Amino acid sequence: MYPVAFVLLLLVAFNAGANLGRDDERFHEELVVRPLSGDHVNTYFQFTTRWHYGEKDNLYHTQLTPRVIAELLQQFAVKELHIGLTQGLWRYETWGYPIVEATSGAEMWAWFSGANLTNRDVDSQWKALANVFSGVLCASLNFVDNTNSIAPRHLIRPQFMPANGQRFVRYATLPREIVCTENLTPWKKLLPCGSASGFASLLNSGHVHNTKYHSLGLKVRVLCEDHDEDNCIVELTQTANLVYDLRLFELSNNDFSLRRLFGMGLNGYCELAESSKIYVQRNELGERYQLVPEPVHEVKTTRGGHSVVYSVYDMHEQFKEAGERLFNVAWLAPKSANRRRNLAKPSLPPVTVHRYLLGHGQERGRIVTEVTNSHYDALPIMLQEVIPWYVHAYLHTLSIRRKPQRVNEYGRQRLPFKLLHYTPGKQRELPSHLEIGFMLPGQTSALISIDVDYLLLKWLEYPPDANHGHYIGSAIVSSQLPMGRNYSALPPEGHLFEHSFNATRPSYVLSLHTEALIVSLPTPDFSMPYNVICLACTVVALAFGPIHSVATKMIIVGRQTSAPKNFVKKIFNQIFRRGKAAEEAAAEGEGLPAAGAAASDATGVASARPAISPGGPSGDQPLLEDLDEEEEEQD
Amino acid sequence: MDSKFFKLLLLGGAVRFYFCRTPLAPMIGNRVEFATPLNSHKRMQEGIFLLQSGIDPYQGDLVHESPLILSALSGLFQKYPNFLPIFYIILDICTAALLYAMSLRFVKQKQDQQDVERKQYAKDTEELQFGPLDKLDIPELVIVAYLFNPLTVMSCIGMTSTVISNLFLAFFFYCLVKGMLIPCLLVLAFETVRSFYPIVLIAPLLLVFSRNSVRRGVAIAVLFIVGCLIVAVANYFVLNSWNFLDGTLGFIFYFRDLQPNIGLFWYFFTEMFEHFRTMFLITFQLNATVLYLVPLSIKLRKEPPTASNVMVHGFVVFTFFLVTLSMMGALWHLWIYAGSANANFYFGATLAFSTGQIFLITDLLFAHVKREFCLFNGQKILIDGEEARIVLK
Repeated sequence: MYPVAFVLLLLVAFNAGANLGRDDERFHEELVVRPLSGDHVNTYFQFTTRWHYGEKDNLYHTQLTPRVIAELLQQFAVKELHIGLTQGLWRYETWGYPIVEATSGAEMWAWFSGANLTNRDVDSQWKALANVFSGVLCASLNFVDNTNSIAPRHLIRPQFMPANGQRFVRYATLPREIVCTENLTPWKKLLPCGSASGFASLLNSGHVHNTKYHSLGLKVRVLCEDHDEDNCIVELTQTANLVYDLRLFELSNNDFSLRRLFGMGLNGYCELAESSKIYVQRNELGERYQLVPEPVHEVKTTRGGHSVVYSVYDMHEQFKEAGERLFNVAWLAPKSANRRRNLAKPSLPPVTVHRYLLGHGQERGRIVTEVTNSHYDALPIMLQEVIPWYVHAYLHTLSIRRKPQRVNEYGRQRLPFKLLHYTPGKQRELPSHLEIGFMLPGQTSALISIDVDYLLLKWLEYPPDANHGHYIGSAIVSSQLPMGRNYSALPPEGHLFEHSFNATRPSYVLSLHTEALIVSLPTPDFSMPYNVICLACTVVALAFGPIHSVATKMIIVGRQTSAPKNFVKKIFNQIFRRGKAAEEAAAEGEGLPAAGAAASDATGVASARPAISPGGPSGDQPLLEDLDEEEEEQD
Repeated sequence: MDSKFFKLLLLGGAVRFYFCRTPLAPMIGNRVEFATPLNSHKRMQEGIFLLQSGIDPYQGDLVHESPLILSALSGLFQKYPNFLPIFYIILDICTAALLYAMSLRFVKQKQDQQDVERKQYAKDTEELQFGPLDKLDIPELVIVAYLFNPLTVMSCIGMTSTVISNLFLAFFFYCLVKGMLIPCLLVLAFETVRSFYPIVLIAPLLLVFSRNSVRRGVAIAVLFIVGCLIVAVANYFVLNSWNFLDGTLGFIFYFRDLQPNIGLFWYFFTEMFEHFRTMFLITFQLNATVLYLVPLSIKLRKEPPTASNVMVHGFVVFTFFLVTLSMMGALWHLWIYAGSANANFYFGATLAFSTGQIFLITDLLFAHVKREFCLFNGQKILIDGEEARIVLK
């Protein structure tokens, strides 16, 4: 149902770029500031470069688009690429939905399309692509390979064009990845103006990494006219989504400003930018603030029955007059509002998700994802899980239980699947990949649970801090909302934040990330390899020895040695044995010559069975031998 | 067949049925000592579920049961899940009955053999010979040892597929003793394709049926290989894919899952340096199959199935098992749940358990050799008036 709608929408996307002439290249920078509940402020930067490069050969001469992106299109059959590097957790219940979705750690997915492309080609291109961006963004994306990548079937939908041909998709997350300054600096270098001027100059690592949530995003897509591969647009969107906690600024009141948030004011706009605008949300939680300087423009947008008011600062206007100065915007809260600043309750978003790990111990557990629909009507829900190979999932234990939203306990009521796609995982090779779809009735929560076993890994497969635990990446939950409440994502055909204004559609595709999980796998003792090898080999030898002697040796009868039972006496006996044995040998040699002869006969036969003569043992002497003596003889 | 036999079977079934209904059953089904990756009930359920949902179970590495078993049991698993414990109990009782019939027949054969050889026996060895009472006592001992062995009871109530393997193996021995070649070959081929290690039983099979003729032996070996191929092809048609070979045989041979179990390999290969892995893998697999197979089949060529059905526990070995098994439970809890011990503790217990097993096997072997010796040479051998010691040399 989704893809058809998407292709239609994307046709519009190309037309939206129709004002982009051939060889035209444009860069836009945007900043959105949205006060959130609980004294949080969301600042969202979006830098968009669109280049109508026409045919592929033109990609050798880049201007605004970074060279690495152009080379990407030459080297790989990649048509769409998303990379997110995130630290922190977006709180849907209190902050609403973000403009771009991301999961904690690194996340990456890409669409490939081209003639004669096989699954194996895509696998190798995917790995190479991850390696390229590992270098470009200084992230550990080089750890992305087939052991943690999946090919999503339903949930991730293409946003490139034309998407109706043969296409492949790969998706991977690295939940352990820590995002820091070393990722921000190379990310800023991809911008036409770098971090020298424009909005990017606000992104100083010291302030960015003080935030409660920060997410760097990179999205590349190619839009080609349907039957004409030589008429293409490449679109690079770089996003930085930050959430500040105002309480951490230790202010006496609730005021804040650009300078307060980023450490400095704005020094101008990027000279190469077509447009450079700041959008400030004025309704809902932004309502109580007074802006200084007063904004000139105001936009009211209604989307899916939900209205938002933005004030707009156009930097091209602000910096019209020449001269060195810094631009700053301040948000002043009325003094009376200070006392009840936490009381403003946000409206609960229609769909929220959470994920938990049940059970204790390092043997087995249960992954549980809870989806709550607080809308009055039923919503279609799709869930995608990537369960890493070091955790075994049992599909037959998958169940969806439901409960009314207000009730606390889940009963026995179940929800049926509308759709199920599962590829079982393989140790050290493939993760388990699960996608399920179902209808979630209104005002209802669903609990999706699956049983898992934790595996014992080889000792060298554990990360340095083995008892820290292993990560299970977040699940993605997707839905289609009939209304636009809390929804601020860009429509798939748009490329600027302002394209989301008044973008009313029949439905809005929502995708949410759950929390990532840490499982604690059983660990071996890392200091013991030699001991274990020695002990295990000893036991094997213990089996080998007796079986070998049963199989190859013959039975003989030995004299009961008069060795004393006492240990000390035994040792004593051992010491004085040599002399004694020699004496005995002499005595035996005279006394029992027949025994010696019989023994040597038997060894001569070398039969595995005891020497039994066909005539019966009655006439023969039993084989008599003194063990010690035999040794002496052999010596 | 006497009434005691049926009483024992009933009692064995009742014991199993009783434990099935206690909370012990699901706990046993999850214990690493009984449920290994190869035989666990949960994995069987998963395999059947995947098969029914049209997903190739061998694409992942959770399922190691052969496709034929999966498809044969899928109806039962899906429609009558409540009767599964009963089903496993019935299988186990069939196994016991087969073992009884087999040992009855076997003892009779031994007695016939004894009658022939009696003249050669030494004088004071009557107590070592089969008496007329043994005809009933030994089979009874065998089924008591099977039905009331805690390990088999646990396997049954945990619904591990070991129960199915036991049934097939019992059937194999029954056919072997009865001298039915074709069923014997088929069952062995089936078990070999299913879990690889039964291939060692080809040795007794060859020894029994070839009757010292090399040509017959080769013919039987060829038949066996053909049997294996037929079974493999039959398995192939269940899913129309050869993936199952890697999922069953490949998995067993390469020892991919390091899940702790009652054996030694798991920790050994966990702690192994990667570049030695292949060497030790091959060494240990040889050790488990060929290394003991050849010398023992030469040594015991006169009575092939003996070694596998004499069930006499020495007191020491029995205590060994009891102590190590209960230690395993405790140490596992300390390692996995309490976090106050580590893997070495549990490994120590499995090490001791394996040592106990080895003692049992070597004792049995030695006892067998010694009995043979004494039968012909008399029980009391005196050197200079003192009682002599019997040693292997």
